[in-house]
Amino acid sequence: MKAEFINPIVKGASEVLKTVLQAEAKLGSLSARPTVFTTKEFNVVCGITGSLSGQVIYSFSTDSVNAISKSMLGGLDLETTDELVTSTLAELGNMISGSVSSQLASVGYTCDITPPTIIKGKEVTISTVDIPALVIPLDLPNFGTIELNVSLKDRAVATAAA
Amino acid sequence: MAKRILITDDALFMRVTLKNILTQNGYEVCGEAANGEESVKLYQELKPDIVTMDITMPEMDGITALKEIKKIDPDANVVMCTAMGQKNMVVEAIQSGAKDFIVKPFQPERVLEAIKKLVAA
Repeated sequence: MKAEFINPIVKGASEVLKTVLQAEAKLGSLSARPTVFTTKEFNVVCGITGSLSGQVIYSFSTDSVNAISKSMLGGLDLETTDELVTSTLAELGNMISGSVSSQLASVGYTCDITPPTIIKGKEVTISTVDIPALVIPLDLPNFGTIELNVSLKDRAVATAAA
Repeated sequence: MAKRILITDDALFMRVTLKNILTQNGYEVCGEAANGEESVKLYQELKPDIVTMDITMPEMDGITALKEIKKIDPDANVVMCTAMGQKNMVVEAIQSGAKDFIVKPFQPERVLEAIKKLVAA
């Protein structure tokens, strides 16, 4: 996966996190994962299609989920059900993906995003099959570390190589 | 009489958030749709004054639903409310008849401003 994707991804994610959680994301150390890997307990999977294809999996610990949903649902006088909390994190993933997609468009990659899929559970193993994942951790004060597991293939390159 | 608004978004979080903003400011949320197909169906049943429309949704996306609603009612007031803010998306939505385009995450004032403009028109 190319380095030129990283800045738009980090920028897109940081902007949304700043607006939604009023938190400054600090970029942690990048690492590569093999195609099969375990994640934190709560995962939002967003498909990316277009000039880049693959997905971004946002991984959160249970503590992060609780802190984030509390912040995002703060103004609403509603019972916080599991369904509402799940939807809240899914929407955060969706908004980050939209923002990332806009940033990627500004560096020449036109992409679309799919509705998010949520995967919850301890020691879940997720396989991205043929595209290795780059792990981009974003540390947020008060909300913990969000891991962006990015598996993207450049369609132009893939087509040229075929 | 309060203006009647149909909310369309696949995320429960977004539906409750928008409902909260709208009802606290004197508008009536007459219906909630979780995808484009439901939105088109509810539009025909409820004939709302205004529709808020997400884009990225299962079953039928918001741009398709917008076009379907405009076929039923060329004067329909549809406001896009989506995480996808790229220029080409905005252009397509406006060319397909959307009256406004709000990018998430949004401030409540942005939504209210969009609704007020349509009510005044």
